[in-house]
Amino acid sequence: MASAVPPPVRSEVLLLFRSLLRTAREFADYNIREYTKRRTIDAFRQNRDLSDPSAVVAAFADGKSQLEVARRQVIVHSLYAPKVKNVMEIKH
Amino acid sequence: MASFSATSSLSFFSVRANNPQARPETVEQVCEVVRKQLVLPAERPLLPDTKFSELGADSLDTVEIVMGLEEKFDIEVAEESAENITTVQEAADLIEKLILKKGEA
Repeated sequence: MASAVPPPVRSEVLLLFRSLLRTAREFADYNIREYTKRRTIDAFRQNRDLSDPSAVVAAFADGKSQLEVARRQVIVHSLYAPKVKNVMEIKH
Repeated sequence: MASFSATSSLSFFSVRANNPQARPETVEQVCEVVRKQLVLPAERPLLPDTKFSELGADSLDTVEIVMGLEEKFDIEVAEESAENITTVQEAADLIEKLILKKGEA
């Protein structure tokens, strides 16, 4: 590579984190919603202490592509939303 | 004379109105969310002015706390506002402001 991509700044990373969590909320299916939330939180925590700039850039790019996947899937899944609420969603 | 004192007392009231403190119930609910997110032991006191960072929260925790508050109070916190939340009091004040704005919409 001729020039390295600059690593994302903190605010960009937090914005990606927030966007992923917000997108997760849009899933109608409880399981997918919870998984997306959990996976996002786990991944960001796991990569919290990355110091190598190229690793940070790679992780950030991966996160962005996952965000795009999630956004597309929200639309696709809304076409096939479950008709019955998951038992976990029923408040007691 | 009378109008002079009237305007000075008016400005005093408007200053108070622009910085209302959040209701105790709101503060209490915010504390619940914070405690759950940061897994604080019940004995640990949580003051409204304590910074989240002092409680061991990192920036990811703060984002999760704000998301939790959005869900609990059914509000949307804008990106710029979210960055300025560092204590329970700040969160509660912002929440009440957003609920008021939502009510007016």
